[in-house]
This record gives sequence, structure tokens and C-alpha cells, in this order.
Amino acid sequence: MVDQSIAGAGTMATASDGDRSGRARIAILALCLGLAVAVLLSLTSGASDASAVGVVGDWLLGAAPGNEAMSARDRLIVYDIRLPRVTLGVLIGAALAVSGAVMQGLFRNPLADPGLIGVSAGASLGAVSVIVLGATVLAPVTSMLGTLALPLAAFCGGLATTLLLYQVASRHGQTSVATMLLAGIALAALAMALTGILIFMADDRQLRDLTFWQLGSLAGATWQKIGSVGPVIVLALAAMPFLARGLNALALGEATAGHLGIPVQRLKYTAIVGVSAAVGASVAVSGGIGFVGIVVPHLLRLAIGPDNRYLLPAAALLGACLLLLADAVARTIVAPAELPIGIVTAIAGAPFFLWILLRKRGVVDL
Amino acid sequence: MIEARNVSVAIGGKGIVANVDFDMRPGEIAAIVGPNGSGKTTFLRALSGDLAYSGEVTINGRDLSVMKPVEAAMLRAVLPQATTLSFPFTVREIVRLGLLGGRSGALPGEDERLPERALARVDLDGFAGRFYQELSGGEQQRVQLARVLCQVWAPVLDGKPRYLFLDEPVSSLDIKHQLIIMNIARDFARTGGGVVAILHDLNLTAMYADRIFVMHRGRLAATGSPQDVLSDDLIEKVFDCRLRVGMLPAGDMPFVLPQSVY
Repeated sequence: MVDQSIAGAGTMATASDGDRSGRARIAILALCLGLAVAVLLSLTSGASDASAVGVVGDWLLGAAPGNEAMSARDRLIVYDIRLPRVTLGVLIGAALAVSGAVMQGLFRNPLADPGLIGVSAGASLGAVSVIVLGATVLAPVTSMLGTLALPLAAFCGGLATTLLLYQVASRHGQTSVATMLLAGIALAALAMALTGILIFMADDRQLRDLTFWQLGSLAGATWQKIGSVGPVIVLALAAMPFLARGLNALALGEATAGHLGIPVQRLKYTAIVGVSAAVGASVAVSGGIGFVGIVVPHLLRLAIGPDNRYLLPAAALLGACLLLLADAVARTIVAPAELPIGIVTAIAGAPFFLWILLRKRGVVDL
Repeated sequence: MIEARNVSVAIGGKGIVANVDFDMRPGEIAAIVGPNGSGKTTFLRALSGDLAYSGEVTINGRDLSVMKPVEAAMLRAVLPQATTLSFPFTVREIVRLGLLGGRSGALPGEDERLPERALARVDLDGFAGRFYQELSGGEQQRVQLARVLCQVWAPVLDGKPRYLFLDEPVSSLDIKHQLIIMNIARDFARTGGGVVAILHDLNLTAMYADRIFVMHRGRLAATGSPQDVLSDDLIEKVFDCRLRVGMLPAGDMPFVLPQSVY
């Protein structure tokens, strides 16, 4: 019983020992506040001097006659440029972070990330197909689906990759990390090669679109784009909390999750479809924004533990905050030009990923 | 009541278990013994609903093959041989997963305190705040047992017996904790539940099992009470080892049996 006395030293054993739900709730509240601040900051900052203080004043006093809190130009900048961009940033940051967390729960591995294991590449392939072939080979389909064609194609690409990956990497309910990462690399390479063929076929105008889109950016956010991908992301995010308990059980292995009464097969497919939808929609509108899905859940697990009931909502909030922050950097660091946000997240995220690997050396069975 | 008729399991086209009949009544500990690779775990996994099987399995008269996971989870809890985690859960968070189905059978409002009580039963008082991954193999095994106990805390629910399926529950434990765990199993059976346990220690088996199922090369080699089953002939045939049952070691050679607890 030596161990026990060590455990008891320092902190008295209490009824809440090992229960981190209280801490998690506080963290979620703090993140809500953080997100509110990040949204306000994003609305106030930008190349023009239109101020969100003016916007808030406008909301509060808008009804008052003769209120001059905001000029028409400012109103245009805030409502039609910054607000859609902020909305998109929140949606995509949340989608990417939650997708990462769900995927890590599904593969029972903290290194799974839609960007790393080829899901984003598959979604890109779907999206590029529509951009390049939309006017020719796929014309009947795209004209029928309208603005939904791009997100839908990205979703299908992401879904196909995830399903294939799961088939390859899982055997008897066990997922081999090495197989998963290597298969992900192979699938990503294949998807990128096919994307390459499409790019090779593209004309000059399409090429410019593609290049910028592939680097990942929130620029060019419009209410129309949000209208086409927003519902998909919101729906996928709304479904994720229902997976939380099942994903917790899945941490013990597929068989044990089943013994606890979880319908494992249904859980897996819901998770895969949800992640593909969220990632597909994100990729369709903003290109490849990497590392949000791995950095955010990892930081949160350190802070509030791996319980998905709290991890998933916290990841949505922190992902949204971080993406707004990254977007602020992207917009201001080389102003008046703009850096693609994917470059910002990769520069910050890649070293972080290496740090995780270094810390986990010996724990992760690569 | 658990009844299995003519159960066979093949994995990847290879027959692992063939034509096993198995019966157990509530109130009993049924031990499955046999050499490594004789199909014990595979049979238990079929009984748990993890593997496709041919033949028929019923639990409390209901066909296992048409049970939903949540229905089966109400009737039995399963302790696997070993469980590794890739996320830093605390012991309490793991044990609480046993309450996921919400049918522990404890009095209303008591579920919140069950993890503590289950941990105390497996002699892990004060471990709730520790990280699972930092525990020794034996401690991890006991944490998992505490989780399993939470799932079927009441051995009888709605008038129907419930079951514990334990795959080598004591294999990584010291002798003190082997006895503690086997006594938990016995209590569970005495209060109306049933226990199916894969065991390797024949002395422990003789001490606790009401009925022994001996498996050999995927088939049932013998079944019955410890007195009927554990014979020199059977041990030689099944374990390929010439051992005399009940013979004391020569001279002053010390020996310690679980039965000798005083």
C-alpha cells in the first residue's frame, strides 16, 4: 500500500478525486468568453478603420433617429465583409477542431487528424474536380446542384478517403497507428496525384483560383458561401455531442464499448460521415487549413482531460478562437496584402506536432 | 441461466471452437480451463456477442444473436484480459464508464457513489484521482473489474439474474488480490448472479468453481464439479503433463495453496 500513501500525499482523497468535469465546465465558460472577445476583435480590426464599437453602437442606438454611429461605408465593411469572414472563421475553426477530436476518438489515437491522414486531400480532390470539370464533364451535375456542388463533392471525397482508411487501418477492432499514418500518406498522395492531373488540365483563370484556394484562406467569405456550407457544418457539429459517450467507451476498445451497450458499428459510421461532412464543407470553402484538428484537442486534453462530453464543445470553441486569431495574423502581418491562413496554421502547428511526437516518444507505438 | 448448444466459431476460415455445449445456472461460478490456444477466450468472446458463431446461445432464455448491445449490456458485464488506453483518463473516469448504460441496479441516486465503492471492493481505495496509464498491470486489471462491477452492481435486476464474464481475472495479480477478486466473484454468485471465468490456476479453480468446463483443441474435453473433473488422467490428456492430484510435495519442500488461507 506504499503507492496509496504517495497518492494521498499532498491532496486529501475527496469524493471528487479524478473528476475533472467541474474544471472542464469552467474551461468551457472561459472559452465562450474568449470567443466573444475574439469575435469582437476580428470585427474591429482590419485594413479599413471601420470600427466595431460603431457597430455595437449602431445595434444599440440603431432605432434612434439621427444616429450617425456608423457611416454607410463602414456598415458595408462590417456587415458584408468582416461579419461573413468572422462567421466562416468560427464555423470552420469549430468544424476542424471537433473533427480532429472525433477522429482521434474513433481511431483511439491522439495523432489522427483529417489533414494528416488524407481526409482533407480526398475532400480537395472532390472540390478541385468541381472547379475544373464543373463547366464541362460534370456540367449536368453541377448545374443541378448549384452552389451545393462544391461542398457536396468535397464531402464525397472526404467520406471515400475516411472509409477506405478505416478499412485498411482497422482489424478486429484494433487500429494500428503505423498502418493508419502510412495508409493516410498513401491515400493523400493518390488524391494529390489525381488533383495534379486536374490542375494540369485547368486553364489560367482556374489555376489562379485553385492555387489560392489550396493554400487555405478565409478571404472571399460571402453570405452566399456561408449559406451553402454553413448548414452542413452546423448539422455535423450538432450531431457530434451525441457521439461523446460512445467515443468515451470506444477508448477502451471496440469490443468493450460493445459490452457497455454502445452500438459500435453505428457510432463508427456516424462519426465517419460527420467528420467527412464537416471537413468536406470546410475544405470546399476555405481550402486546406492544417493542424487545427490536432493542436486544439491535444491542448484541451492536457487541460481538462479526454472526456469527450466536455472535449468536443471545448474543441469547437477553442478551434474557433484559434482560427480567428490565425486569420487576424494572416490579415495584418503583411498588410495591405494577405497571407493565406493555411500558411499561418502550418507554421504554428507543425512545430507543435513535432513537440507532441517528442513528448510521446516511446508511448506512441510507431 | 446461460445455455449454449453446439457452438462453433471460425476466424478467417479457421475453426477455433467446435461443437461446445455449455450450461450454467445463476448462483454458480463456472470456470473454463484449458491449455493456451485451446479456444477458451474465443468461446467467451462468442458468449459475449463479439464473434459470429454457429449454434445457439441463450441468456435467461433469450437468443443472444438477436440482442441489441444495450440489452446484452443489461444482462452481463465483460472483463477482458488486458485493456490499454491511448488517452490520459483518470481511474474514476474509467470506472464511471461502467455506468454508461444506466442500469447498475443500485438504489436511485447511488450511482454517483458507485465508482468509489467499486474501487474499495477491489482494494483500490484512494486511486480514483490517479491516471490509469500510470498504474501497474495488476492495478489496471482491478480498475477494469471495478468498472465491470459498476455495470452490473446488483446481481439481480428486475427479478432476472445477471452475469459476470471474466477472462483471466487474476492472472496478473498477487495472491492477496487473487483471493479478493475471487471472493468478489463468489459473492456475486451467492447473491443471485452468475460468473463465467477463464482461469489458469487449477487450485484456485478447485477452490471457487461450482462447475468446470475443460477445453482442449477447441472442444469440450470434460465438464462437471471439481471433484469429478480434476483427475490425473484428464490433466495428462489435456495439459500433456503428468501430475498427480492431491499429492503432497516430498520432504520439507514448502508449498502454499490459496485453500490454506486462515
